[in-house]
Amino acid sequence: MPWMFYLAGAVAVAATIMTITRLNAIHALLYFVVSLLAAAVVFYTLGAPFIAALEVIIYAGAIMVLFIFVVMMLNVGERAVAMERSWLPGGIWVGPAVLAAVLFAQVVYLVMRGPGPEYPRTVVGPKQVGLALYGPYLMGVELASMLLLAGLVAAYHLGWRRQPEQESKETHFDERRTAVGRSAVRAGTDRPAGAP
Amino acid sequence: MSGSDFLALSPLIALALTPLAVMVSIMIRRSHWAAAAAAIAGLVVSLVLLGAAANAAPRQVTPLIVVDAYSLFYTGLIAAATLAVVLLSYGYLELQTINREELYILLTAAAFGSAVLASSSHYASFFLGLEILSVPLYGLIAFLAARKRPVEAGLKYLVLAGASSSFLLFGMALIYFDLGAMSFGEIAARLGGASFALVVPGSVLILAGIGFKLAVVPFHLWTPDVYEGAPAPVTAFVATVSKGGMLALLLRYFYSSESRGLSPVMIVIAIIAIASMVTGNFLALLQDNVKRILAYSSIAHLGYMLVAFLAGGSEGAAAATFYVTAYFVTTLGAFGCVTVLSTRERDADRLEDYRGLFWRRPALAAVFSAMLLSLAGLPLTAGFIGKFYVVAAGAAASIWALIIILVVTSAIGLFYYLRVLFVMYERREPEAPEFAVLPAAGGGALAVLAVLLIWLGINPGPLVEMIRAAVAALI
Repeated sequence: MPWMFYLAGAVAVAATIMTITRLNAIHALLYFVVSLLAAAVVFYTLGAPFIAALEVIIYAGAIMVLFIFVVMMLNVGERAVAMERSWLPGGIWVGPAVLAAVLFAQVVYLVMRGPGPEYPRTVVGPKQVGLALYGPYLMGVELASMLLLAGLVAAYHLGWRRQPEQESKETHFDERRTAVGRSAVRAGTDRPAGAP
Repeated sequence: MSGSDFLALSPLIALALTPLAVMVSIMIRRSHWAAAAAAIAGLVVSLVLLGAAANAAPRQVTPLIVVDAYSLFYTGLIAAATLAVVLLSYGYLELQTINREELYILLTAAAFGSAVLASSSHYASFFLGLEILSVPLYGLIAFLAARKRPVEAGLKYLVLAGASSSFLLFGMALIYFDLGAMSFGEIAARLGGASFALVVPGSVLILAGIGFKLAVVPFHLWTPDVYEGAPAPVTAFVATVSKGGMLALLLRYFYSSESRGLSPVMIVIAIIAIASMVTGNFLALLQDNVKRILAYSSIAHLGYMLVAFLAGGSEGAAAATFYVTAYFVTTLGAFGCVTVLSTRERDADRLEDYRGLFWRRPALAAVFSAMLLSLAGLPLTAGFIGKFYVVAAGAAASIWALIIILVVTSAIGLFYYLRVLFVMYERREPEAPEFAVLPAAGGGALAVLAVLLIWLGINPGPLVEMIRAAVAALI
């Protein structure tokens, strides 16, 4: 059933192109959810229903919905309502919905039809995934935990804002810094004119 | 996993625990001194445990990690270089008012990633090690988030590193599709003689991922901006630890997966080496910024290392490893000088900052001169022995075209190193140079590096013996 694979792949490519070309973060995220769902269908057609389910639950489900919620909840109040209205005008849901409908039709077809003649060849179940992760790939799991820790600390440091009382104590430094920051345009204008 | 597995892994485990130790020290009390001390302690423990691990080596621990003399040598090199970076960072960060302690978590986590790269024998650990190295680097490069340049540099690195990782993964997927194997040894076994359609394209894509980290032409575009934007000690880290781990992996992957037999891939590497040597040296001539000069010079140096890699055999691997060691010492020293001269507001990266340095700071100017001369490859320095070894290995393999380009481009390279040197010795009225005292930790690290540089230049024998024994594990 290769055309099922290619159809889901085409949806993934289309949704990803839409993701990176949207100027509005919310619109991009909506397409990104579809892109992840398409990846899940690709896994399903390749005979990995467990990974497909994880992809839906973890990526499309938890992480992406969290992203959309955070982006929307960062702005609360009167102005935010108007802003959200401008983010989601009438027709914006049509694109992601059509792509998602294609994927839904595929899944319904695959489930109704049952196991096909050649696809999937072998089905990888949860037990095999677990045995691989805690057998030969045990070190990989440990390494992934280090990776998450490093990402967490880096994000924490870059997202950290100084406390208000500290801010007042060190305002003069901040003023100087922002002044330097504004004038330091990337073209290198902050270099002395007479430098060799 | 058995007891000897843990013993063999102990340097890596110590490196993995170091960021956690720094975190615990921050948790108890936020103190710059305590965080740096925790990082130093962790790195020293890891260096000490190398001896214990050597008794258990060589050992394959799960299909992912291999511990042998070669991986232990690189792990030691990475830990020692990180130690030098921590010492340099301490004085540099004392001047800053932001949260400083996180730098040590990120530095040691990235060093762990680099050590994993040096010990990996499987695509999974290759990719995870690369990411453990890259992700802290985004945070490290943009560490001084109040300045504009670091944030821009961090973003550039993030986007390009993400793109290069996807190339790498796609290359691995192609090879896995064809061969059905992900561990280097199995790849070698299945490659044996037969030809596969996707192995060469896959290897070239993997090479793109490796080339990005090594910053060789044409994957070098991020290098000058990131070197210029990142805080000086982090630049030293990017230039040494990040590239050293990747070079260790490049040698291991191509030697142990028998990919050296793929002649199209070797031709691509030869083209990359030539382009790096030529582009790096010529573009360095056009720069006015010391960090950018060193960035382009590092591109050229990686080209020289690829020449050693192309020479092949045990001598080629030994020459590349010796060159990496000499390059580590020299680059850490050069960026160390930039670090200790940096002020609270900005890094000392303009050529103007070095004008008449000799008359204000004779000792520091002497150390910086030694580092520049070693980068240029003049006798009595580690850089000379490194280059000599590379040329000797290349001559033995009779890759004459590459050798000639290496010699000619190094001669051109001499010019821009001398330019910095002349500026330093120019006599100029000191216009009230308000220099703080040299930070003790950074100054000490610089002194040790300078002694090492000269010692390796005069008496390279013991190190060469050690490296020969280490690369014997590779072949």
